[in-house]
Amino acid sequence: MGSSTLLLTGNIDTIAQMSCNPAIGGQAKGQMVREIDALGGEMAINTDVTGIQFRLLNESKGPAVQSPRAQCDKKAYQYRLKHTLELQPNLEIFQATVTGLLISQGRVRGCQTNLDLDFRAATVVVTTGTFLRGLMHIGQNKNEGGRLGDFAARTLSASFVAAGIELRRLKTGTPPRILGRSIDFTRMEEQKGDHQPTFFAFHDTRRDGELFHVEHTFERRLGWAPGCEQVSCWTTHTTGETAQIVRDNLHLSAMYSGEIEGVGPRYCPSIEDKFVRFADKPRHLLFLEPEGRATNEYYVNGLSTSLPFDVQVRLVRSIPGLEKAHLLRPAYAVEYDFAPPTQLFASLESKKVEGLFFAGQINGTSGYEEAACQGLVAGVNATNKVRGVPPLIIGRQEAYTGVLIDDLVTKGTNEPYRMFTSRAEHRLLLNHGSAELRLLGHAAKHGLLGADRLQRITEKRDRIQHWVSRLESERCPGITWGDAIRRHERAAIEHPDFARESLPVRQEVAYRIVYKGYLEREQRQVEKLAQMEHVRLPVDLDYLSLRGLRRESAVKLAAIRPLTLGQASRISGVNPADISILMVHAAAGRAGESR
Amino acid sequence: MPAEPDTIAALSTPAGTAALAVVRICGPNTAALSAALAGGAPPPRRALRRDYHDREGRLIDDVLMTYFPAPRSYSGEDTLEISCHGSPYIVQTLLEDLHARGCRPALPGEFTQRAFLNGRIDLSQAEAVMDLIQARGERALHAAHQQLRGALSERMEGLIDRLLSLLAQIEAYIDFPDEDLPEEDKASVINHLSDLLADTSHLAATSRFGEMLRDGVKTVIAGEPNAGKSSLLNRLLGRERALVSPEPGTTRDFLEERIIVGAHCLRLIDTAGLNPAPAPLEELGMMRTRERLAEADLILVVIDGRRPEELWTDEIRILSRDPRSIIVLNKSDLSEFVDWDGATSSPTLAVSALTGAGMEALFQAVVARVDAYSLEIGADAVAVSARHAFALAAARAELECARANLQHGAAAELTASHLRGALSAFGEITGKVDNERMLDQLFAAFCIGK
Repeated sequence: MGSSTLLLTGNIDTIAQMSCNPAIGGQAKGQMVREIDALGGEMAINTDVTGIQFRLLNESKGPAVQSPRAQCDKKAYQYRLKHTLELQPNLEIFQATVTGLLISQGRVRGCQTNLDLDFRAATVVVTTGTFLRGLMHIGQNKNEGGRLGDFAARTLSASFVAAGIELRRLKTGTPPRILGRSIDFTRMEEQKGDHQPTFFAFHDTRRDGELFHVEHTFERRLGWAPGCEQVSCWTTHTTGETAQIVRDNLHLSAMYSGEIEGVGPRYCPSIEDKFVRFADKPRHLLFLEPEGRATNEYYVNGLSTSLPFDVQVRLVRSIPGLEKAHLLRPAYAVEYDFAPPTQLFASLESKKVEGLFFAGQINGTSGYEEAACQGLVAGVNATNKVRGVPPLIIGRQEAYTGVLIDDLVTKGTNEPYRMFTSRAEHRLLLNHGSAELRLLGHAAKHGLLGADRLQRITEKRDRIQHWVSRLESERCPGITWGDAIRRHERAAIEHPDFARESLPVRQEVAYRIVYKGYLEREQRQVEKLAQMEHVRLPVDLDYLSLRGLRRESAVKLAAIRPLTLGQASRISGVNPADISILMVHAAAGRAGESR
Repeated sequence: MPAEPDTIAALSTPAGTAALAVVRICGPNTAALSAALAGGAPPPRRALRRDYHDREGRLIDDVLMTYFPAPRSYSGEDTLEISCHGSPYIVQTLLEDLHARGCRPALPGEFTQRAFLNGRIDLSQAEAVMDLIQARGERALHAAHQQLRGALSERMEGLIDRLLSLLAQIEAYIDFPDEDLPEEDKASVINHLSDLLADTSHLAATSRFGEMLRDGVKTVIAGEPNAGKSSLLNRLLGRERALVSPEPGTTRDFLEERIIVGAHCLRLIDTAGLNPAPAPLEELGMMRTRERLAEADLILVVIDGRRPEELWTDEIRILSRDPRSIIVLNKSDLSEFVDWDGATSSPTLAVSALTGAGMEALFQAVVARVDAYSLEIGADAVAVSARHAFALAAARAELECARANLQHGAAAELTASHLRGALSAFGEITGKVDNERMLDQLFAAFCIGK
């Protein structure tokens, strides 16, 4: 977008460091990474380039719920992204810890740092991760910091509170890391990557030769033969002994001894939670994930805990294949401050402080992909704000990114929020392959992709539309190709001209033909709701004095301050009669403006 | 491009029972619908007298139809107004037929909202109507709660929980393919879905519309033995029906009769006398009397007018203060009759079931009471129950598709799509069901967490 930007970080060497497992994608998240690519973000290409194992999840189900997932080389991922930032025009990077914000007259003016250097800016995006008053727990042992070996941002919270921004605590956890040569892999099951990897970036509309691999990090644009030399993950499981150790030491766990006030995620329970909440389940599956090619460190997925270190050692060694395991880093739980996201507009700008944007875990989310989507949107909107351009707001029917942000700012969250495909009511429209088609309009409008790539996406979209209508009308003979495909009598690939199309085009066309009825059904639902999405509500609307509105609804509306009627309708407790009244007022407001 | 608006239908007159009721239809499909109902394109703004036949050809009512083409109509869109007889039963049946023909129930204030958006009324007019919209919304909510209280509400919540549990079973395998989930049990999901479908159909059949509207106002005649309850019933019916005998405690089984009083249908229920010292045989009858009293819409408390208040039993005393009660002092023809003017807000009337004296006044009191009652919930109960019927039918259709999908082994996300459709239809009745509730069930049932 060309705006002059400063990146302040407490440690340049940990830019894009994966604090949790070295994997990108998976259910719903994989779709989000492709959306990031469609909006000009780096996560997809960075994953493709540094990935060491690729798998397409849910291959047996329909395309809408298939998701790419990759194990990455943790260090390579981090270095490549750091290098990309270094080469990025208009971006300055500087190492300093932000200690406070400069705010005057309800507007952010910049920030202060631990080096006593102040930086002035028209807009500021805050991405504190787990570092805001981060506190790590290992049994009774406590250390300040957002990640093992790192510091905590101790004073910045006070700056938010002083500005009237409410903060609360969340908790997350991470398992121990283990030395590979102490693992007996013969006692585990191997999980290999797909023979034909599914990549995240849209290489068909990106320029040729952009794909290069971790071994060639510093030689840009060198091609790499996909699919070669993937590494494996390994699975094992807990035993009766593991369960016994957990039960015997439950009182020592930070989470069970009342040391932790933050709320943890239900979908990522600690091993303590698993044995307590699912007491009748005899064993739990564990995954050993390699952290890279140039390291022998393994991540034990499924074994997050806040038990004391000596108990962790016994725990790990009760697991088949890990009898002689050497722990390189202990598991720990981390608590941190977040700002309930209903305090934000859908642009991710604070309602309290103008020009201040929040993205990532400070908004109560968890996950690299969720954070990246928000960072992208917040960044775009910080620029739009400076330029006086309307913000980028992505609809729930357009992308998981839209679902994510709308959920956050409309409903808030009580636990670290992770995306699931079930959160998207128009899930069938959000298949990973269509991300750049769905977001083409936004990318063009906000200048997020180069003209040549936009051109290629437009051509791809037109080719897909051409083929859908051609196959729906051309007969083969007797019935149309579309009907023949849906009845499994013919495959689209049997059409001689179609077979020459590129794989991404063929896949999208096949999806639209095979799932035609369902896609049209969702499209109709979307169109019904579109009317409400198009009615904008003034930010300064005085709900409490609106005639006819119930008091209870007025209070909720005044707190959320929805930007559209659609958003208003998703606030819990706002009923259809309230929406009728708002619609009349919104229309009256528009008529007033035009006079 | 904004989607074409739906064609909506709703009762536009306020009261549930009146001489006339007006059902209004508006939206893009109105012209075609009008032609179908009137047997040819109707002339604009001219009342046509027609027999209204439902889609199966059954005669519903003799109606007046007036067609107002856009833009010269209340809402500014093509509008059809149907004046029918003001019986809740007729209105209900007519609305259900319109829904079957593709209309959807209008939301509170939707006609006015469209009128404003189409420039037919200005803001001050819209604001005046808005106060009504909200009042109406509140009343509809009240009526919904009335209907939803007790058994129906419990059954709806039961259906929703079961549906959420099924959905969680499907969603778990979509969203957590890499987890250590137990083998997917499709057969059990299909069985549970079939049960859910059967129960939804049953509910749709039984709650087609409010019990009061379907069966009449439940009017319980209660009193001490030999107060003359059965004689009163006979007098109300205008013929000998109940077994009348001078022996106290003759009525052990319940007699039910329907009568039309004014514009209302009353379901009269004669009960066994409330004897303070019942014989063993009477115990059961009295227990059932009390059950009937608990669910009554209107209670006629029959008192032997020769017995002064001091001699009333406690039970009668309590009943006489019940807001649903009308007190009938019977046997006004006898010389020992004592007129009573006790301190109660319930209407009190002296009658003689034997001679018929005072019966006219009693009828009037009953009509006044039921009028008030209908005003309070009648119209909205129709609207609400029409919406229920519409929603339950939609839910059923979705569940059937989901089951067919499961049986054919279609992709899981398509089955889920129908189950979500059913959930959102249930939500039309109880209020929107948030996805969080499905996730609660999912995380309670499955150990998720790599």
